[in-house]
Amino acid sequence: MRRQRATGRWATVDRSLFARLIKYALLAVALLAALAPVYWMLTISLKTEVEQFAVPPRWFSFAPVLTHYRDAFVARSFGQYLLTSAFVAVVSTVCAMLPGTLAAYALARFRLPRKLDTRLALWILSTRMFPPIVTAVPLFLLMRDVRLLNTRAALVIVYTAFNLPFVVWMMRGFFQEIPRDLEEAALVDGDSRLGALRRVILPLVAPGLAATAVFCLIISWNEFLFALVLTQTDAAMTLPVGIAGRVTQYEIKWGVMSAAGVVAMLPILVFALAVQRYLVRGLSLGAVKG
Amino acid sequence: MGKGLKAKKWTAVFPPVYPFTRLPISPLPYLLVAPTVAVLVALSVYPLIYSVRVSLQTGTGARAVWTLSNFTRLASDRFFQDALAHTLVYAAVALTFEFLLGLSLALLLNERMRGRGLFRAALLVPMMLPPVVVGVVWRLMLNPNFGAINGTLKSFGFDTETLTWTASPTLALASVIAVDIWQWTPFVFLVLLAGLQAIPQEPYEAALIDGSSAWQTFLHVTLPLLRPAILIALLLRTMDLLRVFDQIFILTEGGPGFATETISLYIYRAAFRFSDFGYAAAMSFVLLLLTNIISLFYIRLLNRQENA
Repeated sequence: MRRQRATGRWATVDRSLFARLIKYALLAVALLAALAPVYWMLTISLKTEVEQFAVPPRWFSFAPVLTHYRDAFVARSFGQYLLTSAFVAVVSTVCAMLPGTLAAYALARFRLPRKLDTRLALWILSTRMFPPIVTAVPLFLLMRDVRLLNTRAALVIVYTAFNLPFVVWMMRGFFQEIPRDLEEAALVDGDSRLGALRRVILPLVAPGLAATAVFCLIISWNEFLFALVLTQTDAAMTLPVGIAGRVTQYEIKWGVMSAAGVVAMLPILVFALAVQRYLVRGLSLGAVKG
Repeated sequence: MGKGLKAKKWTAVFPPVYPFTRLPISPLPYLLVAPTVAVLVALSVYPLIYSVRVSLQTGTGARAVWTLSNFTRLASDRFFQDALAHTLVYAAVALTFEFLLGLSLALLLNERMRGRGLFRAALLVPMMLPPVVVGVVWRLMLNPNFGAINGTLKSFGFDTETLTWTASPTLALASVIAVDIWQWTPFVFLVLLAGLQAIPQEPYEAALIDGSSAWQTFLHVTLPLLRPAILIALLLRTMDLLRVFDQIFILTEGGPGFATETISLYIYRAAFRFSDFGYAAAMSFVLLLLTNIISLFYIRLLNRQENA
């Protein structure tokens, strides 16, 4: 009897060990699948053209060179695209954060007649749900009419509108998490409502503000369709459009393109790491509070 | 969620006045919302209305004529029907795989284990990448001559002559779908993992006491409790899949031929290659309608859940 129980226990240990091994193997495969392609791009950006075309592919044994990076960012205009991308991302983030945060505060704290607050919030969200191509066509025509095609201003304007609903929904969620008593205490102490917002509430939602701003930066930095439609000149083009222009040309400079891809990816990885805690929330527009 | 501050449900109705002054109706909330509403009206609503006009007119200026021809053309346009079919196939196949893989990964990682944080962080990489970079990465992987995939297959002795991936009329759509699955499975995984971790322990203890098998527990405890997270993940993915543009544009530009042309790509081609803005606008409304119908369906399901 006792012996039997003992073997029984050993059997479960064995099985759980086996299950764990399978589990780690599966996870290793997933990890490899997720990262190997990105790593491959990195190696191409560092290989000479001869090594790029080597068969079998060289994953590890190659002599790294930086010529493609110099080619892309010194000899070609990728440096300029990079600056445009950074400028547009930062300015549009600031432009969306200011009005968006105020609106979010109002929608989180005030009950308006006829459920206007909920309806407004849903309407704001719905503007974010259009497929971008739907507004890209008319926005192109309108920007052409006001002669803003091929300017950074056009992108700043469009990205601000694109990020606003996102800011409102993210910040509304963060405001709703702050207990109302805190600001009521400030109001009793004679603060005005905006004074209470500035002195009591904003410091409390500071992490949320930072996370939301970083998300705006990521969205603007990654955006492709509007940038493609609205900017076609070297002076106004963002990094994604610059890369796309090289990719679809007849002769492709793989090294240059990969180098630009790596540089376009790096700030995003840093940002993503910074907001990892809020990632689920940001990607689901605040729907999942992860 | 904030460290010390737990989310609190606000059921109490907040009065539409300053709580401690006796102003009848405060203009403050309206003033705070006004700039946002103004920007969105100017840059989302107005363009949409403008687009309606563009879609209903042919000719420009004084010679503009109101007509429905842009919409009637849709019925007989093979390119449009193909693009619609590609979009639906793309969305359905990618959604299925992303859901199944994402759910499996989430279940695998739902318990404490060594290296979980690292693994989660590494999985984020594909979905955070700029879509254009995803296109570049997979052009490098799938290139028939020196791409890593064919190169690796060749070195194991496989014949890769016919495996031209994005250049092959038969494999191109499958290839771009695979790239989408690669990029967005992590998103489904993350949302479902968050959902799983929000499930309380008690139902599982009850199931254990009742002696239900692991499969029964999954079917009758985990899945129903995970339903809201599943619906949100599927809703957000579906909306994104129906509008897909960026990666396909980089990978194939809709080709070879038009084998991977989705609705967004066809709209882009009509507007910016042929300057046929009226027709592009008309098609964009079909896409908008499609997206709306499908998202309403999901939202219905979500609401039914909440009322049940």
